[in-house]
Amino acid sequence: MEDLPLIRFSDVSKIYHLESGDFPALKHITLDIRENEFIAIMGPSGSGKSTLMNQLGILDIPTSGELLIGGKNIAALTTLERTHLRRDIIGYIFQKFYLIPLLTAYENVEYPLILKYKKRDTTGRAAAVLKDVGFDEELRSHIPSQLSGGQQQRVAIARALVNDPRILLCDEPTGNLDRKTGFQIMDIIQRLHTEGKTVILVTHDPKIADYAGRIIQLEDGRVVEA
Amino acid sequence: MTDIFFDLSVRSVRLNFLRSLLASIGIVIGVVAISSMGMLGANLQLSVKSQLSSNVNTVIVTSDVVRTTSASGVPVSAEGIDKTTLGDIRNAAGQNDVIPIHRSSTQFTIGSTDGRGGIYGLDPNDVTKFLTIESGTNVRGESDALVGSSIASSFNMNVGSRIKIGQNCASVSRPVLRVAGILAARGFATDGVNTDNAIVVPDKWFTDHYGNKDVYDQVNVIVQDIDQINQTENAIDVKVNRRTDVIRITDARSRLTSISQTLGTITMFILSIGAISLVVAAVSIFNVMMMSVKERVQEIGILLSIGTEQGEVRRMFLYEALILGIIGAGVGGLTSFIIGYSVVGAIIGNTSFFFMPDSLLYIPYGMIIGMCVCVASGVYPAWKASNLDPIDALRNE
Repeated sequence: MEDLPLIRFSDVSKIYHLESGDFPALKHITLDIRENEFIAIMGPSGSGKSTLMNQLGILDIPTSGELLIGGKNIAALTTLERTHLRRDIIGYIFQKFYLIPLLTAYENVEYPLILKYKKRDTTGRAAAVLKDVGFDEELRSHIPSQLSGGQQQRVAIARALVNDPRILLCDEPTGNLDRKTGFQIMDIIQRLHTEGKTVILVTHDPKIADYAGRIIQLEDGRVVEA
Repeated sequence: MTDIFFDLSVRSVRLNFLRSLLASIGIVIGVVAISSMGMLGANLQLSVKSQLSSNVNTVIVTSDVVRTTSASGVPVSAEGIDKTTLGDIRNAAGQNDVIPIHRSSTQFTIGSTDGRGGIYGLDPNDVTKFLTIESGTNVRGESDALVGSSIASSFNMNVGSRIKIGQNCASVSRPVLRVAGILAARGFATDGVNTDNAIVVPDKWFTDHYGNKDVYDQVNVIVQDIDQINQTENAIDVKVNRRTDVIRITDARSRLTSISQTLGTITMFILSIGAISLVVAAVSIFNVMMMSVKERVQEIGILLSIGTEQGEVRRMFLYEALILGIIGAGVGGLTSFIIGYSVVGAIIGNTSFFFMPDSLLYIPYGMIIGMCVCVASGVYPAWKASNLDPIDALRNE
């Protein structure tokens, strides 16, 4: 029997039903992503990058075709099962950080642990991961609006990592950062890849894409180069 | 260590402190309205019951009031309880006190002031069996009278005062009564003898002036053992209403029950008026919760996208509604205590029943209803929040 890749798109299409008519955002995508790959997804605006990331992040399901993540057919799962899979297998890093504004930096990192284990972290894991991504320990009790962009993205990376996910999804992780900080963040992501994470990164910046081992080029909802 | 979703709710309430406070004030008003109105009703019931329960051991016998129309079209009414029937009642009542009562109403003049009230004719020996003389003595002479507390206070009467009975008409000489004693207040008496606004005269004086000798308007039987009240009623019924219903038999206890039911209905009515303010509060909480969901759409998107269950998002918003409810109900409960006390004092004029469990129970009732209303108002917003599409929610700025 064939060894399944970590992620498999088999003829996946995603069509949005809009008032102006049906809009196909992804068209017949067939793609395998193996464990510990570092992939950059590139393409012009409207090419389907975000839709592809939503599928990878199990935030959405395909209109047709089959998407397997960790061997599970996403469309066949219930909402709760998809939530649990997302929580356990995926770490999501967003361009706009998307930290929970009412929680402190430390609590933002602790939050996924609470979701998974239904109790506060007493193992020191959240603090250790924060330290690992180079977050200033003195800022732990600050809320996101009191942190710089670089510090917020470190917190976001720590939050994505704290449950030890197999897949790290990075949606333009340096898009809201200055160049220097952007490269610092990319160095962290690069290190996480070398430590065994599968990294899938969306970017417009070829220099950032250079970190990846494989580049997937999207155009008009199709993979034109992989 | 507290639930993270509870923490998030507390922080959200704190962040929108003024809005949350205003919404809670709605609940405070609702809880105060329900609790105060409930306590007012309860105190009214307790107060009336206490006034009435002093004569619940009385069987009241009246002539069966059957109004018929004679062939000539003139209404005919039953004439009262005659001497034979009274004898039967006495026989059936056994050792219990039987009190025949004449009753009418009259105009009277005290000094130069005219008034109107009831007039009862009683055997002087029966007076002290169920009436209390607060000052003075029982009637001794034929022209002695006892006056009720309301008449005495309204007309500034003392023992020895004179009352002219009948319509004030210069050409007619009227009989004069001397006040021998003043009766204690009875309130609304369930034994049918409401003396507060009445004059009590010897039965002989009554029949001399109003006629109806040996025919009584009412006969009260004071039962020594309250458990025997039904038995006594049955005995009288069997004895007197042998062939046709000659008399009607009721007892003060059933009257009390009926009055209590009426007061209960009144209490429910005023409670429902109070509940209207809670409905207004519920709309306000609903509005605040919907605003909270609307303002936090992106945050909800973040929560859902990093693996928060829909049920956990729902819980977070229900906690928020519950916190508003707890604050509103807590402050409302305390305020109800103060306002309830003032309202009961001002309207009933007597707070001696305020601290009784039946009265104070309305405070926790009001608080629980307030909290339930709050949580119920949060159900739809919580459901709406948990069912947001995380992708759309994340895009919301």
